[in-house]
Amino acid sequence: MKSLRSDKVLIVLAIGGYLLLWGPIIVLGIYSFNNSAFGVKWESLTTKWYVELFHTSAIMDSVLRSLLIASVTTVVATGIGTIAGYGLFKYKFAGRRFLRMSILLPITVPYVIMAGALLVYFTQIIHFPLGYPTIIIAHISFSAPLAVFVTLGRMQRIDWSLEEASIDLGANRLTTWRKVTIPLLLPAIFASAVLIFPWSFNDFTITYFVAGVGTTTLPLYLYSMLQYSLKPVLINAISLIFIITPTIGILVLSYFQREKQFTR
Amino acid sequence: MEEQELLPCVEIRNLVKKFPGVIAVNNINLKVKHREVFSLLGPSGCGKTTTLRILAGLETADDGEVLIEGELINDVPPYRRDCNLVFQNLALFPHMTVEENVAYGLERKRIPKAEIRKRVGEMLEFMQLDGMESRYPVQLSGGQQQRVALGRSLVLKPKILLLDEPLAALDRKLRKDMQLELKRIQQEVGITFFYVTHDQKVALAISDTIAVMRDGKLEQVASPEEIYDSPKTRFVADFMGATNIFLGRVIARSGEEIKLETETGLKIVALADKESSSKEIKGVCVHPERINVLPTGTDVKMDNQFKGRIVGMIYQGDFVELKIHLFSSKEDEIVTARLDARLSRKDSFAAGQEVIGQWDKEGSSTLQG
Repeated sequence: MKSLRSDKVLIVLAIGGYLLLWGPIIVLGIYSFNNSAFGVKWESLTTKWYVELFHTSAIMDSVLRSLLIASVTTVVATGIGTIAGYGLFKYKFAGRRFLRMSILLPITVPYVIMAGALLVYFTQIIHFPLGYPTIIIAHISFSAPLAVFVTLGRMQRIDWSLEEASIDLGANRLTTWRKVTIPLLLPAIFASAVLIFPWSFNDFTITYFVAGVGTTTLPLYLYSMLQYSLKPVLINAISLIFIITPTIGILVLSYFQREKQFTR
Repeated sequence: MEEQELLPCVEIRNLVKKFPGVIAVNNINLKVKHREVFSLLGPSGCGKTTTLRILAGLETADDGEVLIEGELINDVPPYRRDCNLVFQNLALFPHMTVEENVAYGLERKRIPKAEIRKRVGEMLEFMQLDGMESRYPVQLSGGQQQRVALGRSLVLKPKILLLDEPLAALDRKLRKDMQLELKRIQQEVGITFFYVTHDQKVALAISDTIAVMRDGKLEQVASPEEIYDSPKTRFVADFMGATNIFLGRVIARSGEEIKLETETGLKIVALADKESSSKEIKGVCVHPERINVLPTGTDVKMDNQFKGRIVGMIYQGDFVELKIHLFSSKEDEIVTARLDARLSRKDSFAAGQEVIGQWDKEGSSTLQG
């Protein structure tokens, strides 16, 4: 009661923060309906850019490529990261601390350096042609550490006597993993995937270096559109789609999260 | 079958387990009979849980042998051992329903589905959990969770059920109810229970045999009555609440009756085992409730009468604890006595009052360590 003033200040600050966050996106959304190819001056309302978007096969192809790459990366990197996180948490061995810290490396190294290193590695050392495999390997290398971190965080809060209980009741290690450990790690696995998918989908810097001919992803395509296209307004349209889709996804997920309350 | 009954259900020989910097279990030997409740009692860190975990196969012994019905099981992995563990925190699978939790062990044994359903149903009924089948553990009360954990292990009909203080987390009233329940369940299913606890009250209430453990070694193995009435060592005496401990040496003896002079100068009459040598006797202990508090001037011929002054009174509800400073001793010797709350109100002893503390020689026990 007595802090009514500071409450008001907080509300104003919060609204300000959200405006800052949402402002550009709102402007972008509005201008995607603007009947002007260069989009600085408002002319009239139209949805023709959305129609054109779906008829420009180059854009659609790059979207599909990006979705494919992000999907494969998410599955593989989440798998690797979860198993690595489990190993780093559960098993005591020499150099464990060092290995745990070194996981940070791909996240802390500047992307351009990481990208350059990967390019040199692929072209000069293992002589691997640039294309889908190189993009996916590169994406895994910077996104698996994320899964390791998410998994390690979850493991701190898991009651490990549950694994022992499973073994005590007659399950071997493999069955215990399948029936107890993985269900317990499911929130972490899920969180990793949700984090990695957009991370991979959005990546520009590293993909720019290791992509080959014919493997232009959406971010690369948008970048080239900004440079050379006659219709930059298309970017507004596609951006809005990619803002709304994950937003709906997040809302649906948080709804289902509330349903599953049995794990505390 | 007959032959198996003759063998102890569990036998531990020269068991040793070391952790970096500590010897958790230091060469212990014990035998657990069929269909008894055997309690391993001791303070935290005494090695009791480690012993239990070695029995379950969750820790490996550094030395010694573990046998179940005469069969060496040192190298048998935990998932193939015929013993099941009820964890301290119960370790119910949070992502499975009550029914799935209880069925878990049976499913691992590849028992036909129809039989699993039948046995799980019977167990849930036996544990008074019918109607709870599709609930998750968090939706159950503390007592119900206990029963699910018990049922999950008992449904496998193990040769021995290991229990790691499963009642410790419960509040006092529920703990009392559950310890009765445990005893009833054990008698009905006829399975050997190996119970680990630091709570001497629970151990006294449910056990057929108690082993008191300290620093990785067994101090005394005996029936609850014997552990309580005749503790053999100072540690056991103290742990079982016989807090009046008089250390000293035997100065006279005729048969069972001994006279002991304490380090503080008291002369105490007590009874000792016929076989025990006087040299082995290191002292005497008396439970507080065995000490009578009499007004001064009471002149009766009784053993062990010592004048003193009440220096403290602690009201405990059902009894009053008196701290009495004995005069006849050279140094400060405080004796704790317990008075029935009804009596103390009438007699109304008060702090500072002079009284006589007295106990019969039968009410004390001699200590050998």
